[in-house]
Amino acid sequence: MNLDKMMDLPGAMAAFTYSDKGDLQAHVLREGTELTPQVLDLLAHSCVANLAIANMEARGWEAVTGQGGFQPLKGFSVVGLEWSVVVNGNCGVVVRNRDADYEAAFKALQAA
Amino acid sequence: MNIVKQLMAIPGVIAAGEFAFRGDRFSYEGALTDEFARMASILCRANTLAINMQTEIVDSFAEGCGCRPVQGWIAHGNLVTICVVGNYFAFIENRDELLNDVMTIMRAKVGDIRDDLLANLYSKIGGDTREALY
Repeated sequence: MNLDKMMDLPGAMAAFTYSDKGDLQAHVLREGTELTPQVLDLLAHSCVANLAIANMEARGWEAVTGQGGFQPLKGFSVVGLEWSVVVNGNCGVVVRNRDADYEAAFKALQAA
Repeated sequence: MNIVKQLMAIPGVIAAGEFAFRGDRFSYEGALTDEFARMASILCRANTLAINMQTEIVDSFAEGCGCRPVQGWIAHGNLVTICVVGNYFAFIENRDELLNDVMTIMRAKVGDIRDDLLANLYSKIGGDTREALY
């Protein structure tokens, strides 16, 4: 996982990897950002939870409605006031909203 | 033109709708049945509330870090993506540039969600915002 490459995404403020349980494993922070490793660790835990929930919802939705295309889930993003966290697998990136390219972020995470 | 109609005018948008934060009120357009739209509204509301709870915790460790108030979320599926901003949702196909366009339009049309998300959104559907919301 090349976190420095993730930091090349538009508006990237931080990039990080985490364990299956959500523990922060590695991270890169843009200088001057208010984000801290502790915040990234909390974000990673919430992202693991949100990915699991979204996967469950996708499976349930497809089973109940017969509509396809939701699985496999290829990522989840929480859009905050100033920044968004975009995650997939065991990697995430925090991007500033005004510069965010969600498609590029999801693609980069998929390739990671 | 309301936000849902504007979203539905975009090629690749499968369905769009608005959900209430209390009760089962919802409206929608597109390729959903009434029952599926009701389910989608409940799903979107539940996720939105959960994410708001999570960011309150994050904010307590780094006040003013820029995560609150939550504006929305995205569940990126294999062929379909769910976008939620405020109390609006859109099911869209995964086409080049569509996700970015839809998010830009939703953020612009819905506007910034203010601090008291629930009171703000509840008031939009005519509820009593002084009533306890939890």
